[in-house]
Amino acid sequence: MNTVMVERKEIEDFLIHEAFLINEEKFSEWLDLFTEDGIYWIPSNKDHIDPNTHVSIIYDDRERLEERVWRLESGLAYGQEPKSRTRHLITNVKILESDDQKVVVSSNFILVELRRSIQTIWSGRFEHQLRSQGGTWKIASKKVELINNNEFIGNLSFIV
Amino acid sequence: MKTINIEELVKDGAVHGDIYNEEEIFQLEMTRIFEKTWVFVAHESEIANPGDYKTTVIGEHPLIVTRDSDTEEIFVLFNRCRHRAATVCQQETGNANFFRCAYHGWTYSNNGDLTGMPFQDGYDEHFDRCKMGLIKVPRVGIYQGFIFASLSEEGPSLEEHLGHARPYIDYIVGTGPDGIALNAGAHKYSFDGNWKLQIENTIDPYHLSVTHRSFFNILSKKTGKKINFNRMHKSEKIRDLGNGHSLYELGGDLGIGALPFNLIVFPNLGFLGSQVRVTRPISVNKTHVFLYPIMLKGVSVEENAERLRKHEGFYGPAGFGTVDDLEVGFDRVAEGLKAKGPDGEWLEISRGMNREEVDEQGIITATSSDEVSARALYKEWKRLMTAGSIS
Repeated sequence: MNTVMVERKEIEDFLIHEAFLINEEKFSEWLDLFTEDGIYWIPSNKDHIDPNTHVSIIYDDRERLEERVWRLESGLAYGQEPKSRTRHLITNVKILESDDQKVVVSSNFILVELRRSIQTIWSGRFEHQLRSQGGTWKIASKKVELINNNEFIGNLSFIV
Repeated sequence: MKTINIEELVKDGAVHGDIYNEEEIFQLEMTRIFEKTWVFVAHESEIANPGDYKTTVIGEHPLIVTRDSDTEEIFVLFNRCRHRAATVCQQETGNANFFRCAYHGWTYSNNGDLTGMPFQDGYDEHFDRCKMGLIKVPRVGIYQGFIFASLSEEGPSLEEHLGHARPYIDYIVGTGPDGIALNAGAHKYSFDGNWKLQIENTIDPYHLSVTHRSFFNILSKKTGKKINFNRMHKSEKIRDLGNGHSLYELGGDLGIGALPFNLIVFPNLGFLGSQVRVTRPISVNKTHVFLYPIMLKGVSVEENAERLRKHEGFYGPAGFGTVDDLEVGFDRVAEGLKAKGPDGEWLEISRGMNREEVDEQGIITATSSDEVSARALYKEWKRLMTAGSIS
């Protein structure tokens, strides 16, 4: 097996950088972190579903992800008027698989969102599949397993 | 406390803000609407196998919808132990031959019969076990696989209640070569506002070009075609089907799903896009909503997957359409309703009253930016809310 040790710290830094771009509302730069075939996925009801037979809260391919970012920057996305202010805390970072081309990394997150004077705590597990591209890591897949994915949740129009 | 006079809260072309705000009205809605009429509780595909069950509510009453393990008959039971009232079933869905109350161990079969309890020596021959099963709701009706229940012994049959909505339900069921199934999970979301806001919003094409402008901008960029809402509203129709039900006939593809119409079945069921929508009133200012994607039986996985992707694009807690409705249609309305200036407490639903047409069946039609649907809703709302008032 062609296993290459990828430093956990390097991947953790990547996740922290991604969260920074979201929290600072640098959505175009965040979008640039994804590969051309990248997927941004939030399953509905439970963590492990087949997105072809079970509905997702979000199952964005690159095209829809671009539309999502365009909307956030359009000034017409009322769901984000007022905007959500967010801060991610990312922890429990664990490399699940790695070789020199690909990393699968699991992390836990707490996301505090402030909107309409209400502070909401969101939490769950991220599973990122990163691909090496031109010497940097790109997101081939970001899966968000919200712990409340089967609850009646409110407006999730910000980026998790 | 002010006295509520329902008659005065709905007039021609306007409703009073109190209908969204007053706790007393919410309680009356639970007893005079939800406990009187037919309410959707499940689709047969959700409890497809013997022993399958689903928990739900009518109004505030917790229920279990079961499929008998032997006869496959469908039962709708109150989720309440006959001994000391604990709910006997905790899961949203599952499969079980028995429900055993975890408090003192009373056990019921999935048709509701009491089958036993621990230490039976405390009950003598006067204790009639046959009468101590889980209570069945008075009436259960099934139309095209859609299971409805009524907490009222009396009233119109389910078929009578569905009335002119029936052919549209027939159409929906016929969209799949082998029928349809609600087996792809659900979107579940919540808002701090009255349940009727979600019903109104289910047929309200007037708001599409405003609230959802960003979505339609994206759509026209993708398709290269710009939707002419002005022309659309002149040609499309909305119909008051009677009994509180209403219909919006789409003139073309709006990129939000497969159905060529939106259908509201009074009081809280909707069919639109590619979904079945169930609106659950929680309190006067709290509402839960389920969106069940309609899956077609007898088509490829890819075709159903494509339906899911289209649905997610507009609907659900992160869909481009729903989130803008949550903010504008519900949060801002709930906020604005608190402003109660003199004569300023009414909400307008009069649009297009001057151009309604009534056919020989009594179906009222006007064009798609007209508020026919809201008027249909509040006509039936008022009828039920004032029927049997305590004198």
